[in-house]
Amino acid sequence: MAVNLEYVFRETVSNLKRNVSMASAALLTVAVSLTLVGGALLVKKGVERATVQWRGNVELSIFMKADASQPESEAIDRQLKSMPEVKDYRYVSKPEAFEEFKKIFANEPDVRESLTVEQIPPSYRVVPREAEQTKIVGERFENTAGVFRVSYAKEEVDALVSVTNFLQIMLWGIAAVLLAAASLLILNTIRMAIFARRREVAVMKLVGATNWFIRIPFMLEGLLQGLVGAALAFGVVWIGRDLVQDRVAGARNDIQLFKQFLVTGPDVMTTGFVLLGVGVFVGTIGSALAVRRFLDV
Amino acid sequence: MIRLRDVNKTYKGNVVALRDMSIDIAKQEFVFVVGPTGSGKSTLIRLLIKEEKPDSGRIWVAGKDIGQLSSWKVPLLRRNIGCVFQDFKLLPSKTAYENVAFALEVIGRPPHVIRQQVPQVLDLVGLTKKRDHFPNEMSGGEQQRVSIARAFVNRPLILLADEPTGNLDPSTSVGIMRLLDRINRTGTTVVMSTHDSSIVDTMRRRVVELDRGVLVRDQARGVYGVNA
Ligand SMILES: Nc1ncnc2c1ncn2[C@@H]1O[C@H](COP(=O)(O)OP(=O)(O)OP(=O)(O)O)[C@@H](O)[C@H]1O
Ligand SMILES: [Mg+2]
Repeated sequence: MAVNLEYVFRETVSNLKRNVSMASAALLTVAVSLTLVGGALLVKKGVERATVQWRGNVELSIFMKADASQPESEAIDRQLKSMPEVKDYRYVSKPEAFEEFKKIFANEPDVRESLTVEQIPPSYRVVPREAEQTKIVGERFENTAGVFRVSYAKEEVDALVSVTNFLQIMLWGIAAVLLAAASLLILNTIRMAIFARRREVAVMKLVGATNWFIRIPFMLEGLLQGLVGAALAFGVVWIGRDLVQDRVAGARNDIQLFKQFLVTGPDVMTTGFVLLGVGVFVGTIGSALAVRRFLDV
Repeated sequence: MIRLRDVNKTYKGNVVALRDMSIDIAKQEFVFVVGPTGSGKSTLIRLLIKEEKPDSGRIWVAGKDIGQLSSWKVPLLRRNIGCVFQDFKLLPSKTAYENVAFALEVIGRPPHVIRQQVPQVLDLVGLTKKRDHFPNEMSGGEQQRVSIARAFVNRPLILLADEPTGNLDPSTSVGIMRLLDRINRTGTTVVMSTHDSSIVDTMRRRVVELDRGVLVRDQARGVYGVNA
């Protein structure tokens, strides 16, 4: 069927004009919910990046006894070198470890002064080839002479990941609820618009209009609401990400950890397009559903 | 062109609108449907455009059993039928011109065709001067003529007219009847319901009379009342 574009645009514009307030309510709800969806998506991306870095860095530390002998230490060095599971390892000497220790307790002179270089255990920081091998590698050293303790960073990483996962699930939940609300609002906006014009729709049908002919202007209306709402959300997410990024970049060392969360420009773009897609989908489908019941012959 | 077999239609509350109605109307025929108010004339017309469904019986229009018609084909049926509604059914937010143009927009005619055909038809019903008036700015008779123009603008095979002269003075009625006669002569089948005895009596066409939903008379070159 040939659709007269002029007609479609004329109808769509006049529909939107007729209920500006409902249309903007729907639009804003789409914007808010999609902003949350976008936020959740970016946090997810950030967590993925950070996890890769955490997992890929120090996975376990083999702390030597402070009084471990040179041969004991060398034995461990040799063993690490010979293990195919070990991707990389590094010896952290007593002075290095002491520097680190001082840095961590920079604000607590009591603690800082309570230990001397001699009392700090040196350690081997070991990066296994696969995250799953961490435990196997670690266990091999637990009862070796000169070893004080094997500690797994994996556990801390997992704890962090589970916290961020929980955060993500919450964001998803809120976003889903809001998205449903947005769909319902769009559905209602269109339904009111079409209810106000049900006589007209009936006449259209009686003079031979197809359902698509009647539906298309309403669907276009929903599409526009979804699209503009999504575009707003896109903007907010973009600006929000820049703000966070600037904060982190300008911050002192103690929140360096957060730098690992940073997402790239392309990440934001992809997320934005997902938002636009969802907005368009929700708007179009919402209005198609709203029109349905008025189209029964 | 139109065929009904044993058609029954009862509305909510046991109102019998049509009972065991059977009739054949040939191509290019001109048929008057007469009968007292509430006898089922409008119902007959509504059934033909599938605005209502019969409780039983079968209806063929232009060779198709419209009871078997899938719902997406109903618009196609309606495009072959022009219908002048008893209550006009004009769109209040559109001018006379736009109302007529609408019937063409709906079926996807290109703008240049619309710009050419609408003024022609408005001229035919004598409404050129009122083309930019909205329905509430027109008299009943003028609205009725817009309704006729809309029904006829896409040259349908069948024209159904539900009391198209119901709101018109005698001389305008004569004008409308001339118009319908002309449309009929171009090959369009015309079915018209009316209470206007003088029109029926002067035209001397086929007359079908309904009484409480029952077909009581079917007469070639008939008159309005049997004892007229
Ligand atoms: N939608 C409806 N719901 C219930 N009853 C209806 C409906 N439409 C018509 N009727 C009833 O069906 C019967 C036939 O109505 P119809 O409109 O076909 O009569 P008509 O011959 O066109 O009358 P008129 O000459 O007054 O236009 C009447 O008794 C009417 O009250
Ligand atoms: Mg009637």
